Amino acid sequence: MAQDELIVVKDLNKSFGKLHVLKNVSTTIKKGEVVAVIGPSGSGKSTFLRCLNLLEQPTSGHVFFEGVDICDKKTNIDLHRQKIGMVFQQFNLFNNMTVLKNITAAPVKIRKMDPKAAEEKALQLLDRVGLRDKANSYPSQLSGGQKQRVAIVRALAMEPDVMLFDEPTSALDPEMVGEVLNVMKDLAHEGMTMVVVTHEMSFAREVSSRVLFMADGEIREDRPSHEMFEDPRDPRLQDFLSKVLNL
Amino acid sequence: MEFFDRMGRIFSRYSSFFGQGVANTLIIAFFAVLLGTLLGTLLAVLKMGKFKPTRWLASAYIEFIRGTPLMIQLMFIFYGLPMLNITFPEVSFIPNFERFAAGIFAMSLNSGAYVAEIIRSGIQAVDKGQAEAARSLGFKENQALVMVVLPQAIKNILPALGNEFVTVIKESSIVSVIGIADLMYQTNSVISVTFITLESLAVAAILYFIMTFVTSRLIAFAERKMANGTR
Repeated sequence: MAQDELIVVKDLNKSFGKLHVLKNVSTTIKKGEVVAVIGPSGSGKSTFLRCLNLLEQPTSGHVFFEGVDICDKKTNIDLHRQKIGMVFQQFNLFNNMTVLKNITAAPVKIRKMDPKAAEEKALQLLDRVGLRDKANSYPSQLSGGQKQRVAIVRALAMEPDVMLFDEPTSALDPEMVGEVLNVMKDLAHEGMTMVVVTHEMSFAREVSSRVLFMADGEIREDRPSHEMFEDPRDPRLQDFLSKVLNL
Repeated sequence: MEFFDRMGRIFSRYSSFFGQGVANTLIIAFFAVLLGTLLGTLLAVLKMGKFKPTRWLASAYIEFIRGTPLMIQLMFIFYGLPMLNITFPEVSFIPNFERFAAGIFAMSLNSGAYVAEIIRSGIQAVDKGQAEAARSLGFKENQALVMVVLPQAIKNILPALGNEFVTVIKESSIVSVIGIADLMYQTNSVISVTFITLESLAVAAILYFIMTFVTSRLIAFAERKMANGTR
């Protein structure tokens, strides 16, 4: 396995009962890549993403993270999840904790980081996304865009090697999409490896280095983003792009 | 109003009767809820667990208890268990202990089934995303449960548990049929002495209402305390 291969997906299949959601999906995600996953709804994008940290147990196939097969029953997935940050469509901030506690909980409880140092770092990260003054607020007191920025910070506090985004802007009011995308752009420019399931074509086009187009549980096209948007080959992709771009 | 006059006279004349009844009702309800909550927690854990046989057993127990009358359950425990040579011990310094024990035992077994469903639904009402987010950070399943899910579930559970307490106070009147001197039993005693039926029952109703009302106010107070800050 090559040094710069962070995640290798091999012949991944996932079925929910009779519904075959992922069909022999294989791909490789390299260090520093920003991969956008696009496609019509129901194409298996989110399921694919959730298989990468085993929130969804694949029916068959393998996911290698930093060379380790995390689908192997003997692998301690909790250990690897510490290195795989995830951001959800519905934010999923812990409602029973303040913003600061949301961010420091994992570093303190799992990494055994000194609470003071963890707070210090959390405040620095909050500063970066412009939310330092919300440190002692509860999630219910934040707007959607603020929640999502905190959720990103919460994942970053574990210093992950890759960040997974599951439609991070889909549940936001339109005027808040920009503030979240800006944070993600900054991350991308800093060299963070990212896998982003998104409906934001501008993000896929301008920020991501590679695009996976999924339809009916398969990766139909997998190319550098500038190429794909200029010269879509798959007929399903042409159809999809004509619908989402000509609004 | 003559009716209220008679109520007042009955209450003042037999206040020690009623007082004894209230005390015994509270004792039974308190222990029934306490033991019922312990049993209910255990049942809820089993029912949500991964091990199928205990999951099935817990479900069967809950369905059966909720689907049969408390009266019959009480009879089976008080009259049925001794037939199997299972008896509650007599305790010299607590009069009527074996009756009390049987009453509390039956009420607890019954209440446990309802509490189990309260706890299970309270936990399952917490958005699945909360536990997923915790797992995605690397928390173990039980860590996610203790740190994130349970604190939020308590807020769903507490009001319903308060209702269950109120229900148990009222339902406990049924233990009078096995001769426990609870409020209902004492009221019947007053009636059999005075032959003044409705007025005595009205006094009992008011006493029951005071107990349930105070309980529900206390629980509402606790809820408000817990709601401070979050959500």
